[in-house]
Amino acid sequence: MALLEVDHLSVTYTPRDQPANRAVHDVSFRIADGEFVGLLGESGCGKSTLGNAVLRLLSPPAHITGGRVSFDGVDLTEADEERLRELRWVDLSTVFQSSMNSLNPVIRVEAQFADTFAAHKVPGDVTARATELLELVALDRRVLRAYPHELSGGMKQRVALALALALRPKLVLLDEPTTGLDVVVQRSILTRLAELRRELGFAVLFVSHDLGTVLEMADRVMVMYGGEIVEDRPAGEVLREPRHPYTRGLLGSYADPRLPEVRVSYIPGRPPDLSRTHTGCLFTARCPHAEDACRTTHPDLLPDRGGLVRCLVAQEDRLPVVTLGTAEAHTALGSHFPATAGLDRPADPADAAPVLTVERVTKRYTSRRGLRTSSVEAVRDASFTLRRGTVTALVGQSGSGKSTLARLITGVERPSTGEVRFTGGDGPDLRVDRLRGRALRDYRRHVQMIFQDPFSALNPTRTIAYALSRPLANFAGLGGAAARERAAQLLESVGLAPAGQFLDKLPHQLSGGQRQRVVTARALAPEPRVLIADEPISMLDVSIRAEILELLGDLVREHRLAMLYITHDLLSARLLADEVLVLNQGTVVESGPTREVIGAARDDYTRLLLDSIPNPFAKATGRAASPSA
Amino acid sequence: MSTPAPAVPAPGTDTEGVQAAATAVARTTRLPGWFVILWRNRKCRIGLLMLAAFVLLAVFAPLLAPYDPHEDAFPTSLGPTGSHWLGTTAQGEDVLSQLVVGARTSMLVGLAAGVLSTLIGLVIGLTAGFVGGWVDEVLSFLINLGLVVPALPLMVTLAAYAPVRGIWLIIVVISVTGWAYGARIKRSQVITLRTRDYVTAARFAGDGTARIIAREIVPNMTSLIVLGFMGAALAAIGGEAGLAFLGLGDPLTVSWGAMLNQASLGGAMLTGQWAWLIAPGLALSLLITSFTLINFGIDALSNPHLRED
Repeated sequence: MALLEVDHLSVTYTPRDQPANRAVHDVSFRIADGEFVGLLGESGCGKSTLGNAVLRLLSPPAHITGGRVSFDGVDLTEADEERLRELRWVDLSTVFQSSMNSLNPVIRVEAQFADTFAAHKVPGDVTARATELLELVALDRRVLRAYPHELSGGMKQRVALALALALRPKLVLLDEPTTGLDVVVQRSILTRLAELRRELGFAVLFVSHDLGTVLEMADRVMVMYGGEIVEDRPAGEVLREPRHPYTRGLLGSYADPRLPEVRVSYIPGRPPDLSRTHTGCLFTARCPHAEDACRTTHPDLLPDRGGLVRCLVAQEDRLPVVTLGTAEAHTALGSHFPATAGLDRPADPADAAPVLTVERVTKRYTSRRGLRTSSVEAVRDASFTLRRGTVTALVGQSGSGKSTLARLITGVERPSTGEVRFTGGDGPDLRVDRLRGRALRDYRRHVQMIFQDPFSALNPTRTIAYALSRPLANFAGLGGAAARERAAQLLESVGLAPAGQFLDKLPHQLSGGQRQRVVTARALAPEPRVLIADEPISMLDVSIRAEILELLGDLVREHRLAMLYITHDLLSARLLADEVLVLNQGTVVESGPTREVIGAARDDYTRLLLDSIPNPFAKATGRAASPSA
Repeated sequence: MSTPAPAVPAPGTDTEGVQAAATAVARTTRLPGWFVILWRNRKCRIGLLMLAAFVLLAVFAPLLAPYDPHEDAFPTSLGPTGSHWLGTTAQGEDVLSQLVVGARTSMLVGLAAGVLSTLIGLVIGLTAGFVGGWVDEVLSFLINLGLVVPALPLMVTLAAYAPVRGIWLIIVVISVTGWAYGARIKRSQVITLRTRDYVTAARFAGDGTARIIAREIVPNMTSLIVLGFMGAALAAIGGEAGLAFLGLGDPLTVSWGAMLNQASLGGAMLTGQWAWLIAPGLALSLLITSFTLINFGIDALSNPHLRED
């Protein structure tokens, strides 16, 4: 008997205002003692719903509509709340993406451990046990005395992990535990997690949309699409030969940025709408190998070469053979998808005219605490130039001063010393660090921003047409029908066609990728010279990141824009940028043409960033991504 | 204006737009969304029906009242009889007619003072929260002052010493003493909203502060504003009744508070005229109850999680 047995589980959302949505459909799987299983898929494929259903944490309008879950011999679908309470956390614990926010802000970390022990009547010295647990997740014992707000996101997430392991559970559900943290922190948490599992031997169900991290960590991988499991096989096998076209598509988003030629691919389209009934295979609309039979026959999950796959073409062995893990194969894989993002191109920034120059800029923040004042240099002596038609990537961890530089360039803040000069306008050169009021507003027409979170960058109560009409009215003097027509053109220029379908929509009716396109269209509306993109893809699904990168790259070339691309992800920098600046604690540690900086990194910090990138192929090619030590 | 989307997307094309269109079509109700949500909540439905009854009563008061409320030719201090269902006052006026016409005063005061104090609170709260800095310091000081000054004594003083009398004086007095609470809540809400990316984006789009507040921020706090209005209207109705009961109301206006005042002065308790005493009190409590019930529904409006069951 396996530790966790899920049989024919179905979950349906029945909201009052929308049609019912079968988020999880007839899912069966087993997890053995100590096994590390990854659950993969884009957002909206039912992964988290499945995870929550296993823990019986679903809240209305979601309901389990069929099947059963049994854990260690106990039927969880039938168990009452009291029985569940005994099991949860003791044998079955969890860490969510937002777990760092689940720490109680008004009590110290130690007290949160004490609560956990008290709730489950664990005897013994709380401090000793809590210290031991913190050591497990590589945190200092001083953290015990801290309040949650005194800790960074990564530290809080580690505390959440320590709490999840506090009662030595048999199974830990990790739902996107490192999404939203930056690459270096993510790497250190994952490394620690792998070590812990070896030491303590708990089983893990690891839910993520990031195939790179899952493949590195897991023994076995299950891929979910449209509420169904479409592939289930050992992680090594998935790397060697993924059998479902969807898995292949997901793998296409990864590449080693250090290779001389880097290609990624993406899966066009979005997951299916589960509130409608579909005939045939759910992936047909996005599948490059779809045949006539796929449109009419719904495939079953059948054994196939040491795993399970739900694909007619693969089951009949007519899927083109691809061996992953080599650059050539990866290129071949990309070509299976019609919209390969051929983003890699030689950098030639020499002939581009400077648009904005940052010269020896330092930004000091002074804070007063009681009688003492302390000052922090967020940016130290940074100099660089943004040029027409060129993408400059600013790479660094969170807290390295990237966003401060963006604020200095946009005039939101002023540097303590140094100059920011804008030379791209029609008039005389501007000293951005001296602008105020009206002049600052006029300057912003030339410098526009693309935000990190497409969900908060658009006002939820305003239509797309309104969002686009504002810059047009303020900077181009367009109103009424003229503005609407221009807004439609802008939408089509960012790939939202036909525009008429989008103009009168509200943001919540669009997907994350579509919203980011709208945000981009709004930034283009005043015809700026400089575009600042602050982590524009980090909140998006891995499968559509390349799509947005491709769009940004095209826009830069087409409009001859200077772009500052802010990121912690060197792979995307490698794909998009002509020049790279690596920022560590406010100081530029390395800069130059992208290929040179990334291909032959000289600085230790740059190498650390490179090593932290999740790279599923590292396992296959035997070159393990070395931990951050 | 959206064009109908094809039902089946061609393979390989973008399926996103089609799905968004499908979800939009799935909404079949013709009533506005906010009303549907309010109506679904049982408590709120009862509240809406009660309020509707009071509104109808107030609007059609002259038709519904059996007599002129100021007509004092009837026998004095009658108990409930066939021709005077709730009896007559010590001056010989019909209590039922006064009750019906008095609904107009309460409704008018609730509406006008509610709107006025919501507006004051909105302007001060939004400006303080959005602009920040010394403007916030000054306005927050005013808000705090408004919160700690005891409202009833201030109301009584203002009403007692004002050179004019009348229902509008009462409305103004209630508004200037009752805006602070709403302003404080709105200020806190704006502080959380003003750091949203879309506000920054509006700045980059060249919008000015006033426009950002009116077009980007206010629409995101509708439910809070409605909630604030309900609270202010409730307090205003209670405040008017209190002032009138203390004899500080307009002597020429018929209101439930004034009725209570006269019942007390006219010795309704001693003469056993329970109807004269209880009717206006009960009407007030029912009106206030209806507002409270509606607020349950407004909670669901601002928090989608409360809509499900």
